[in-house]
Amino acid sequence: MAEPILKVRDVVKRFGGIVAVNKVSFDVNEGEILGLIGPNGAGKTTLFNCITGVYRPEEGHIYFMGEEITGLPPHKIAAKGIARTWQKTRPFQKMKVVEAVMVGALLRTNDVTEARKRAEEALALVGFPREKFYVRGSEITLLEHKMVDLARAIATRPKLLLLDEVAAGLRPGEMDQLASILKRVNRETGITMIVVEHVMRFVMGLSQRMLVMHEGRLIAEGTPEEVANNPKVIEAYLGTKPE
Amino acid sequence: MIDPALITNNLIDGVLMGLLYSLVALGLSLVFGLMDIINFAHGDFVMIAAYTTWVIAMMLYVDPSVTAIITVPLFFVIGLAIYKIIIEPILGAEPLIQIAVTVGLGYVLQNLALAYFRAGPRSFPAPWFNYSIQIGPIGIAVSKLIAAAVSLASLFIINYMLVNTKFGLAVRATSANREVAPLMGINVRKVFAITFGLGIALTALGAALYMMWGQTNPYLGQSFSLLSWVIVAMGGLGGVMGVLYSGLIVGVLEALGSTFVSPSARLAVVYLAFFFILWFRPRGLFGRR
Repeated sequence: MAEPILKVRDVVKRFGGIVAVNKVSFDVNEGEILGLIGPNGAGKTTLFNCITGVYRPEEGHIYFMGEEITGLPPHKIAAKGIARTWQKTRPFQKMKVVEAVMVGALLRTNDVTEARKRAEEALALVGFPREKFYVRGSEITLLEHKMVDLARAIATRPKLLLLDEVAAGLRPGEMDQLASILKRVNRETGITMIVVEHVMRFVMGLSQRMLVMHEGRLIAEGTPEEVANNPKVIEAYLGTKPE
Repeated sequence: MIDPALITNNLIDGVLMGLLYSLVALGLSLVFGLMDIINFAHGDFVMIAAYTTWVIAMMLYVDPSVTAIITVPLFFVIGLAIYKIIIEPILGAEPLIQIAVTVGLGYVLQNLALAYFRAGPRSFPAPWFNYSIQIGPIGIAVSKLIAAAVSLASLFIINYMLVNTKFGLAVRATSANREVAPLMGINVRKVFAITFGLGIALTALGAALYMMWGQTNPYLGQSFSLLSWVIVAMGGLGGVMGVLYSGLIVGVLEALGSTFVSPSARLAVVYLAFFFILWFRPRGLFGRR
């Protein structure tokens, strides 16, 4: 068994009296798509922010590719090979689509021409329409914005990609399209992914393994089927004890 | 009837001065666009740089324009230090705190100049380019022509840098979204520091050019600050081109005011026009935000 690409050990993050992430530990295996689900306020996004260095956890350790990254600043963690996208798309206003993706590519090269080439490759990989490569961010659809955010993250050549509610706001047809894009990216580049998601159908079809968070804790782990039938998960989502 | 040659002369002068104003305002615009901080001491850096230029020019007895070779790198380093010591601690603070700090910095610089150099104006007594090109009744001051050409070239170089270099893309990405930029591996604090240093270095270049014909006094910074704010507000964060066009408009308005009203009322004309422009276009003439 190969060494897990990411090891999270007993991570705690508090905000005042609230414990947003409470002694969370898990492993992520190289090359897998791991689903992370949980009701609103479960601490999923906070956990992402701890992994990417936006927040510094009060306790616990995070190891990436065998190296401790706990408390490093975000730009150093990005350089080590962790990228992410956000629930709300966060475009670089006033920049053209290719330029925005080039910013990601420039993490791995100093050559602007090479960065442009890599940006175009990343956009092609996520299926972004070629005729819109040189328009500004204000002229594209929501799905296309998600593609740009994804391409921008992929262009940083990450080993691990964290996707935060990437399907939010999309229509069912668009979700299926996005799921197949993510599967293709995972297959073709071997990038490991953690997918945080509310929409069960989307994440179940995508993940090989799933984790469930509730009130800051991990409450279940397993295949999508196991997780969907776990009484603790049903209780967390529906708020009632099954008879 | 006003002499058409005089009008032409003043308009040319306005365009040339406008380009210099653009150069000085560009630093303010870059810093404001990137960090949301209005540096109220911006013009005072022009003033301090003008004194520095004057001291070096007198010591070496060379034209002030030549001193830019020394003052521009020097003020870049000074800018880095000011960023680290004064600006970084107030990033994200309440606007009132930011205003108090940069206004205070401006007064410190003014009073340092006043204490050290006294209030009397200083200028370089033997400028190299103190002549003009005469075309019939039209005369163009060579020193201002050089200043305008250097300013224009600098604006284009910086525009090129913002569009076509790794650092430029990092600046634009950080301006656009300060939360995403670090996740793309951008060290935001470093981008801030270098941009602030660059903004201050540009004030030194502007000062070296201005001192080819101008004179400095401890209050020189106030007029440069005011004109820079007008240009930045009018440009509406429309990038380097917005600053360039606004600078030209300010320079020409100043020339028109000087010609048709009176030389002492020339700034009143600029501010009056500014007032009406912002009334009708609150986001500036070239703003896209």
